[in-house]
Order: sequence, then C-alpha cells, then structure tokens
Amino acid sequence: MTTFVIRRLLWTIPVLLLVILFTFLMMRQIKGNPFRKTDRAVPAAIQANLDRKFHLDEPWYVQYADYVKGVFSLDLGPSLVLRNQSVNDIVKSHFPVSLELGAYAFLFAIVAGVPLGMLAALRANKLSDYLAMLVANVGFAVPSFLVATLLIYYFAVKWNVGLPTSGWRSWDSKILPSIALGFFPMAYFARLVRGTMLETLQQDYVRTAKAKGLRRRRVVGLHVLRNSLIPVATAAGPLLGAVITGSFIIETIFAIPGIGRYYVSSVSARDYSVTMGLTILYAVIVIVGNLVVDILYGFLDPRTREART
Amino acid sequence: MVVNPQQEELRELVLTRTGGGVDAGAPIRQTSLWRDAWYRYRANRAAVIAGGLFLLLVVYVVFAPILSPYDPYAVDFSQAYQPISWSHPLGTDQYGRDLFTRTALGGRISIGIGFAATIAITGIGILYGSISGFVGGRLDNGMMRFLDALYGLPYLPFAIIVTQLFQTVNFWVMVIALTIASWFTAARVVRGQIISLKENDYVRAARAVGARWYRILGRHLLPNTLGVLIVFVFLELPGVILGEAFLSFIGLGINPPKASWGSLAQDGRDVYLAHPTMILIPSVAIAWLILCAFFIADGLRDALDPRTRET
Repeated sequence: MTTFVIRRLLWTIPVLLLVILFTFLMMRQIKGNPFRKTDRAVPAAIQANLDRKFHLDEPWYVQYADYVKGVFSLDLGPSLVLRNQSVNDIVKSHFPVSLELGAYAFLFAIVAGVPLGMLAALRANKLSDYLAMLVANVGFAVPSFLVATLLIYYFAVKWNVGLPTSGWRSWDSKILPSIALGFFPMAYFARLVRGTMLETLQQDYVRTAKAKGLRRRRVVGLHVLRNSLIPVATAAGPLLGAVITGSFIIETIFAIPGIGRYYVSSVSARDYSVTMGLTILYAVIVIVGNLVVDILYGFLDPRTREART
Repeated sequence: MVVNPQQEELRELVLTRTGGGVDAGAPIRQTSLWRDAWYRYRANRAAVIAGGLFLLLVVYVVFAPILSPYDPYAVDFSQAYQPISWSHPLGTDQYGRDLFTRTALGGRISIGIGFAATIAITGIGILYGSISGFVGGRLDNGMMRFLDALYGLPYLPFAIIVTQLFQTVNFWVMVIALTIASWFTAARVVRGQIISLKENDYVRAARAVGARWYRILGRHLLPNTLGVLIVFVFLELPGVILGEAFLSFIGLGINPPKASWGSLAQDGRDVYLAHPTMILIPSVAIAWLILCAFFIADGLRDALDPRTRET
C-alpha cells in the first residue's frame, strides 16, 4: 500500500509539468497577447528592455522552466491589468471563498443525494422511487443557471423568506448559492447510489445476512450501504470538475467574490497572467482531487491498487 | 437409428426455440443485428417516448425559422417584451424579436455544436483509442499515461483558453474548443473495447489465416465497437450541450445577435424578475434535449450492447 501511495504521488509531478506546458504553450499563442511584439509601436531599445525585464529574450523552454519554478515556489507572477496586484494576491483573497462554496455544495450534495438514492433503491419501482428519480433526472438535466434563478425567484422574491441573493458574508447568504451549485452533484449522487445499492442488494452476502435473521436496518446499514458508497467516493473526482464549472455561473449570478468570477473577468479583460495562473490552480485542484480519490479507492477496494499505479 | 438421449433433447430444444414442431424444417425467418436492436429498443417505452420528443424538437428547430413570418434579427422596440400569445407563442425579447423563432435558431446552433463536437470527439477517440489498444505494449502504455495527464486539465477553463486562440468565437470555434477539452473519455472507451475484443477467437482465427492488421481492425474490431460508440454519442451529448450553454451564458461563447440557448438564457437572466419566461424557455429546451439524449442512450444500450446493461 505504501509503495502504491508513493508511486501515485510521484506520478502527479509529470502530470503537473505536462499540464503547465499545455497551458503555457496555448497562452503564448493567444492573439493580442501583450508578450507579442507586433502589437505596439515601441522603440526598439524599449522593446529590448521590456523583453529583458520579462525574460522574453530567452527561448520558450527557458521561459517555461522559469514559470514552472514560479509555480512550484508558489509564485504565479503579477497581474497585467490590476495594478500592484499579483496573481497570488487574487488567489489568497478569493480562493477561500470559492473553496468554502464548493465544500458547502458538496456537503449539500451528499446530505441530500445519498438518502435520496437510498430511498429510491430500497423502494425500487414504487412511487417514492419514481419521485426520487424524477428529482434526480431533473437535477441532472436542468442547467445550473436555471436552478440558481429559480431559487432566487422563489425563495428571495416570491415567498420572501428573506434570504439574501448576493454576496458572501453572513451565513444566510451562503445557503442559496450552495444549493444551486450542489444541485447537479446531488442528482448525480442520487442516481449513483440507487444503481450501486440495487446491485449490492442482489449480492450473496446480503442474502446471507437476511437469512440469518439480521434486522433490515442492520443489513442495510452494515452490509449494503458501506459497499454502495465506494463508487460515491470515486465519483467525487469527476464531480470536482463539474463544481468548478458550476462555480463560474453561480459566482456570477450571486455576485460572490470567488475566483470563478475573477477567471471569467480575466479572460474578458485579457489579463493573461491571471488567466494562466488560475487555470493552473484549477488543474492542481483537479489533479489533487484525482489523487485523493485514487488513494481513497486503493484503501476502500484493495483489488484496484495494482491497476491504478 | 440409435438415438442419443442428449442429442434428442438438443433437437427438441432447437425446435421449440425456432418455433418448431408445427412447421419444423421450414427456413427460419432471418433477423439482422439491427432489426434485433430495433425490437429491443422498441421494448423500452421511455426510450421510445424520448426518441419521439427528440425528433419533435429537431423538427421544430429546423422548420420554425423557415415557416415563421418574423425576421429573427429585426429590432422593433414597440414590440419589446410581448407576453405569450397566439402571434408570439413564446413572447418577444428586449428588442421585440419573436422568441419562438429565435429559440429555434438558438437550438440549431446548440444542437449543431453538440452533435458536431460529439462526432469530432468520437472520431478522435476512435483514432487514438484504436491505435493505442491495437498496437498495445509500450506505445499503449505511453499513450494512456498521456491521457491520464490530460485528465488533469479542468474542462471549462481549458475550453475557454482554446476559444481565446481565435479572433472571434463562432460556431466552429466552439466545436473545436469543446472537442479539445473533452475527447479523452472517448479514447479510453474505444481502447477498452478494442483490447477486450482483441482476445476473441474470431480475431485469433483471422490472424491465423493471415489477415493483415488493417483488415482485422477494419473488419473485425471497429464494427464491433459501433454499438458502444452510438451509445457514447448520446451519453456525451449532454455534457457538450451544457458546456456550450455555460460558455455562452457567461458571455464567452456565441455572440449576439446570433443566438444559442446559452446566450438566450443570458438575455433572460437580466430581466428574470419581470419576464421569467425569457430564461425559462431556453433552459427548458436544454433540459428537454438532455433528458431525451439520456433516455435514448439508455434504450440504445439495452438494444445494442445488452451485456453492459446498467442496473
């Protein structure tokens, strides 16, 4: 197990290097890039000085190596549009907000999605199953901007419950965005738990447990649920991507000062270093997420250790 | 005649299976793989309904702009924000443009991008996956490691960067961006199929009689992945359609006055309090399409690939 973990950890380094390389090469190709010489009529001497200052006189692989060094020493460079702000500053002040939002969304997804899936599986092909799956399928198909808009429309405007619809300060302003962002993962979990539970219920050890007279509650809690939750742990990896994607939308709609909003505005403002730095930050999140899921899976299901190194 | 009891039993079994007894010996009515698949698909009621609703949506999207009396780009402020009525079945937008027509136009772009990107994804997947799975060994290992690394790329941010490589964002740029950001799974699916099919006896037999690699690949392996790939197209479609909608919704996708369902929803987003139907209509259209694709994929899986049936 230790070798598995170590090998898996070491494997993330080339992955990270490759991902940075892709992002780096693509950002260099973007039109209107301030690092391209053709755009402005600048005297040659000044251009040469600028080139030297930003190491643009170096070949691309030296620039790449410099950037990698920066990433590994946690320095993502200055912002090109916001004066006196570095990409690090933006990450430091806005990333915690996005992280919190993502965590609450996941929490909602698990707390609501897992019981919904269980309910559907334990009452398969009955009315409550159909209702639960209706909710799950709708949540699966409806885009998050509609979920967010409907939540605002009903909870904040129509029924006037008094929940704030923008910002990220008080606890009650965090409820609606977290639900809106967590709705898709919730539906995903519900469907997944239903599927795996139905499968587990057919297993011999469940029949044995029933046959020896264990109570239903104990059979479900001890034998069925535990084994059905393994796929839920692995689904968390791909869902991380969905939550990042959703956070762009949700942060824009609810005016939450997270990095998703910064990402979108940095693209429109052509703030290349911010776009690039945040893309790499997202990549790191995805890579770490996949890493955690793989290791977790190795613990939960020893059979997969070999295949996943 | 010496009758082996086992043989007799087998004969009886064959007779009953082929509707025997009555007209035993008559030729059995031939059934092809596709006819079989069609029978199995028809047995899935949800899939049949989803297929019908999907066709309905496609018909609407294709024909509504042709038959509509309104110009989808003509601005007329006197007609702005008309409610739902007989002359405007879905109302009008902030420029007085008929939404029944514009939603259909947006659907052309959204569905078009969805299918174009999904087909491109599948094509790249076939190419990459069949090379990797068929050659095997070191090359396979290297190619799969490369794919693993690409899984570290965040989907939407990566698609956004790709769109920025072009001067303007139009239909084909969106197709390229969404394809580049999400072809990995297709490659994995194809590779897995090729590897498991490669072990079949008929492939060994083909090899034994001296078939060249392209014949084995083209005649024995790829046709057998077709069923899985058709299912994959409908499973992948929702992700691509949603990706397009999200990009257009945050203003980094299809630009006005062109419309996609995402950009129509963005228009509606600003006025959702006074005119909630404007965001509701494109969103329902997206959900409609995704749910259809989803149930169609389910039915196709039962029909084309009964072994991998999901519980």
